[in-house]
Amino acid sequence: MLFVRPGRLSDLDALEQMARAARPVLHSLPHDRHALEARIALSEDSFRAEVDFPGEEFYLFVLEDASSGKLLGTSSIVAAAGYAEPFYVFRNDALIHASRELHVNRKIHALTMSHELTGKSRLAGFYLDPSVPGDARAHLLSRARMMYVAANRRRFTSEVFSLLLGVTDEAGTSPFWEAVGRKFFARDFAEVEKISGGRSRTFIAEVMPSYPLYVPLLPEAAQRVLGEPNGKSLLAYDIHLEEGFEPDRFVDIFDAGPVLTAQVDRSACVRSNETRVIREVAEGASEAEMEAAGATTYLVANNRAGEFRCALAELPVARDAQAPLASSVRSLLGAVAGDAVRCVPLHRQPDDETATTDARADLDGETAALRATHTGVRR
Amino acid sequence: MIVVRAVKTTDLDAVVALAQETGPGLTTFKPDREALAARIERSKRTMEGHAAPHEAGYFFVMEDTATNDVAGVCGIETQVGLEQPFYNYRVSTVVHASQELGVWTKMSLLNISHDLTGYAEVCSLFLSPRYRAHGVGGLLSRSRFMFMAQFRDRFPERLCAELRGHFDADGTSPFWRAVGSHFYQIDFNAADYLSAHGRKSFLAELMPRYPVYADLLPEDAQKVIGLTHRDTAPARKMLEAEGLRYQCHVDIFDAGPVLECHINDLRTVRESVVMPVAIGPAGSSDPSRAGTASAGAPRDSTPRSLVSNTLLADFRVGFAPGEPEGGVMRLSADDAAALLVGEGDPVRVLVSSHTKQSQPS
Repeated sequence: MLFVRPGRLSDLDALEQMARAARPVLHSLPHDRHALEARIALSEDSFRAEVDFPGEEFYLFVLEDASSGKLLGTSSIVAAAGYAEPFYVFRNDALIHASRELHVNRKIHALTMSHELTGKSRLAGFYLDPSVPGDARAHLLSRARMMYVAANRRRFTSEVFSLLLGVTDEAGTSPFWEAVGRKFFARDFAEVEKISGGRSRTFIAEVMPSYPLYVPLLPEAAQRVLGEPNGKSLLAYDIHLEEGFEPDRFVDIFDAGPVLTAQVDRSACVRSNETRVIREVAEGASEAEMEAAGATTYLVANNRAGEFRCALAELPVARDAQAPLASSVRSLLGAVAGDAVRCVPLHRQPDDETATTDARADLDGETAALRATHTGVRR
Repeated sequence: MIVVRAVKTTDLDAVVALAQETGPGLTTFKPDREALAARIERSKRTMEGHAAPHEAGYFFVMEDTATNDVAGVCGIETQVGLEQPFYNYRVSTVVHASQELGVWTKMSLLNISHDLTGYAEVCSLFLSPRYRAHGVGGLLSRSRFMFMAQFRDRFPERLCAELRGHFDADGTSPFWRAVGSHFYQIDFNAADYLSAHGRKSFLAELMPRYPVYADLLPEDAQKVIGLTHRDTAPARKMLEAEGLRYQCHVDIFDAGPVLECHINDLRTVRESVVMPVAIGPAGSSDPSRAGTASAGAPRDSTPRSLVSNTLLADFRVGFAPGEPEGGVMRLSADDAAALLVGEGDPVRVLVSSHTKQSQPS
């Protein structure tokens, strides 16, 4: 059984391997062991810290196989993108070029270097061991972050975003980089990605265009990939959409990959949250009960102070069914019967509207969430 | 004698007829009777001192005095951009460098500019194809510099000339395809015509408002920035011999170069000299039409001079055989008559040494 938990310093070896295996490089996971160690330490401090508003915090998650203790993936959240530095994206603006006299009217897009996402919380550093089969695990590892965000609203901004890999050809060449970045950097994309380490570095201001780029003036190959996800990112793209992220008018400055944004209030982890109370069931009994109740897969998270846990579990769809969890799952979550856990259907339910009621209460944090549970139970 | 002279109201028919020889393509000189009448009228008002600064402009015609055939036109705008903005791209340089990354890149940026506002402009040059082999293109072009030299205080400090940009063999501009077509949404000739006829408001509405990175454009478009149309290359050579230079301004439609200089630095202004006329057989025995060299190229051994009178409304200029000697310019009776000068009248003379070498070939 797999579960997601915060990364620890004792995970350093495994994380170092993942950082080196990840292609393309993960900006949030440096290859250098000391730098990586510092990142993990920052994450441990961040999870522990009392936080009233997002700042320098960095939250690192790992996907662990409970049976072997092996780490199979990692993901992270940057509390405030760029933090003390600007975070760069291209904003794709529409400009109207119209002349009444000539009876012409055209919308012309232009890409402007923008700092608009600076300081917003950013989902980052997603890496899943390619040997792990099935999409559910990718969902778990990716969406566990939003489960954490939903349960810890004060630590994050009300809008969060995620940058996905843009289109590259078989040789790993990005048509957008060839048309834009290369002209400014005179270097290969992979080379610059390796040394750049993110989208907040000083050299971006020095090297990238200070004026907007007119999209129609770019080569067609570059125009075509604008905001398009890489084939390798299609699953990630779908997971984000399922969570409630939407393509916005931002694209990555290097490969024009999509930047997806979500209002946390409208994300699945908030809107479809059903905070339920754990009820003990026997390991075998659970399955039979589930079948009878019409069960579905849920993301279940326990936000116990200091040790966030998230796993997948089959739960009855009926809300008053509480959370009948077998002991194996309870131990994954580090929870006991009577604890309230956050439960969100892994996939959108046909009648999703009913799930919205909890969203507002969620703003007040866990106590409010509990209150919402009772409302739910009464209904 | 073939002379270039200030236009007269009575030239209208001849000018309209001449404009019919242009054929498609040249949009600045069309057989539009009304527009041409207005142009002639404007030149007249300018001569008389009745034109406001924003409309002041001169128009000249080339005429064979033997046949009264009008074979060419040219013009000067006194100060461009005072009514409607005078748009160009300024090709500027941007360097992106990062010591941290060891990156240093230099790019060209096209900025919409009004830098040339208030400059005089030499423009509207058209020579009938019937006369192109006659070596009179130089006379037509340089006549304006003789006029400026003679009436220097009628002009501002600087001068520019817009040259047609490069077009592919199929008659299209790679620069227009890469840039203008996306913004203006009409075809090149329509845009050029509107712009040339003072209907420029669409430019402000449609042109790119931000600078354009030239290095991001398709290569064929980059290559033609500041490049002259094949047919305009001789005109460019002549203007450059006169002292005009490309100073990183180009046309917003076809990226053809704009040549610029200080009027005081024009060779014709610096080197032409005013002196009295002596009528009589010139030192050379060549007949009066030597300057036009109707058959074949002029013989290099034959010295000749560009000679103008010093009159405003009756300004005339032409090539005459010979050179000034002893502080006077000797003209044949016919040439003197063609230039409307008599014995002892002052004429402005530019000796042939450099006029010959900068003749378009």
